[in-house]
Amino acid sequence: MIIFFQSLISGILVGGVYALIGIGLTIIFGVMRVINFAHGDILMVGMYLTYGLFTLLGIDPFLSILITIPLMFLYGGLLQKIFINRVLHALPQNQILLTIGLGLIMSNTMMLICTSDYKILTTSYSSGSVKLFGISFSEPLTISFVITFVITAMLYWFLMKTDTGQAIRATAQDREAAQLMGINVKRMSIIAFGLGASLAGTAGALISPTYYIFPQIGSAFTLKAFVITVLGGMGSVIGATLGGIIIGVAESMGAVYISSGWKDVVVFAIFLLVLLFKPSGLMGKTRM
Amino acid sequence: MNVNRISANNNWSSPLRMVTGIAVLAFLFLFPRFVESPYALHIMILFFLSTIMGESWNILGGYAGQYSVGHAAYFGTGAYVTMMLMQFRQIPPWYGVWAGAAVVVLVALIIGSICFRLRGPYFVLASIAVAEILRLSAMNLKELSNGAEGILATEIPPLKIGGVIVTDFLSKVPFYYTGLAFALLTIIVTYFIQHSKLGYCFQAIREDQDAAHSLGINLSLYKNIALVISAMLTSLAGSFYAVYIGFIDPSTVLPLDVSVQIVLICIIGGIGTIYGPVIGSLLLVPLSEGLRSNMIAQAIFKSGMVSEESGMGIFLRENLSHAHALIYGILVVIVILFMPDGVLGFMKKMLARRAKS
Repeated sequence: MIIFFQSLISGILVGGVYALIGIGLTIIFGVMRVINFAHGDILMVGMYLTYGLFTLLGIDPFLSILITIPLMFLYGGLLQKIFINRVLHALPQNQILLTIGLGLIMSNTMMLICTSDYKILTTSYSSGSVKLFGISFSEPLTISFVITFVITAMLYWFLMKTDTGQAIRATAQDREAAQLMGINVKRMSIIAFGLGASLAGTAGALISPTYYIFPQIGSAFTLKAFVITVLGGMGSVIGATLGGIIIGVAESMGAVYISSGWKDVVVFAIFLLVLLFKPSGLMGKTRM
Repeated sequence: MNVNRISANNNWSSPLRMVTGIAVLAFLFLFPRFVESPYALHIMILFFLSTIMGESWNILGGYAGQYSVGHAAYFGTGAYVTMMLMQFRQIPPWYGVWAGAAVVVLVALIIGSICFRLRGPYFVLASIAVAEILRLSAMNLKELSNGAEGILATEIPPLKIGGVIVTDFLSKVPFYYTGLAFALLTIIVTYFIQHSKLGYCFQAIREDQDAAHSLGINLSLYKNIALVISAMLTSLAGSFYAVYIGFIDPSTVLPLDVSVQIVLICIIGGIGTIYGPVIGSLLLVPLSEGLRSNMIAQAIFKSGMVSEESGMGIFLRENLSHAHALIYGILVVIVILFMPDGVLGFMKKMLARRAKS
């Protein structure tokens, strides 16, 4: 029973970060109807940013998100302004290919700058853990879960209560109607992509103490982000939060009860089942 | 748009086109007689391989409009079946190739029955997921596929017909002709599809699924036909690659990168056209090989743009050989933003504009 709860807890802790990745993708999809295949690569950029800040300036990875969030927001906004805005009315497959191309550019540029060596960010608490009721809580994962929780709460508040948040939701609901109501749709798109990128970058920062850092890590997270958002319902923030936790738990349960090699197969199998039987996802109806 | 495409390719019987076609074919058939450099042959073989991959994807993606980003599944399955039969069962690859194609047809029908219920972006995501499941299975089913270690071909048995040794596969020449034959096969298949009722049905589905459905086209039947043809030809490419390179593992024949690369060949060349994938391969293969072998860096030094000793020169010499994926990325972005019909479409447009003025 201890094993069950242990894997449940570590699944939920990892799932928090997954939720962050998924929420970023879902906001971008909700507002622009563009599936961002460069999402994992943006996360990778966030990881390297954190790694750079840690090794060069000695800034703690969890503190560095204060720098990562605004920088990644700018980065995402620029990507949107320069590239994505031009294909908003193009065929969906062309949008997908454009983001694939951007992802390739990011991961390979990073490979030229930092080589493809695996990098490890070791902090004093990287392998630390706390025991509670016989279940061990990994320190970095627990801290990152708490931070994720705070960020998600702030994001809800932003989307629900502020004018800009409401404008973003309006754009997601109906782009043309929002435009008629005097909302600057292009600006909302830039903000949405900026938000998505900063969430992905933050997730990258939060997982950098526990994962290997290398330029090609992005595609694994891009795939995970798709699974999470489709599971939750494309465009639904609550769905993505739930989806992230579910995928985190499914992975850790799969690793414990089946084998660690097959845990990703479990995730993709869930993905296909959801696509087939409930393509709108868990929260498909309620958009953002 | 559609009508233009069909009629533009209909005047192939004009004498000039026929002469060029025959000249190109004669050149390709005689090429190994004049050029003995194994490296030149290697580049040509890669060009054929890329053409086979591009043309096969084109049937599903370009004509039927189903953007599969999971074609590595068929490439890898073909490669694995051929290789496993050759290494573990001593079945020569020229039988293995067809066994691979048969297995791939089965796999494609299963994948089709899952993925074709979905449309647009959801179809893309499902096709990726299925390919990933296959890759992870190849990693984990160690007793069947050797897992992450991959399979190394120890030797290829010589091809004998009636007791006479036709070829022993020791040089690159037999691979050259096999590649050429497969590439021509895929082009001919594409040609016949484009000019048949089947091809019109595919294109109707691409242009508007619901309209095609209301005209009585059985969507799932035709999508599955397109997938099966496309997957079978892709598996030929996979088997050919496996035997030619002599080594496969899940991360070289089954990853997402392979699927993406297959799509890029078509996108950069021009999708839904017979020669688009050929143009795409003609651009991408020399480019990536030139970068990989540092030939392009050498050319930059020779042209005097950057001196070899300068900091920039050292940077180029050390890094340009790893930059082919970066260049792919930049090319895709440029093509999508500025030439949405691919290089072939762009050239046609430019020619038409010049003809007008």
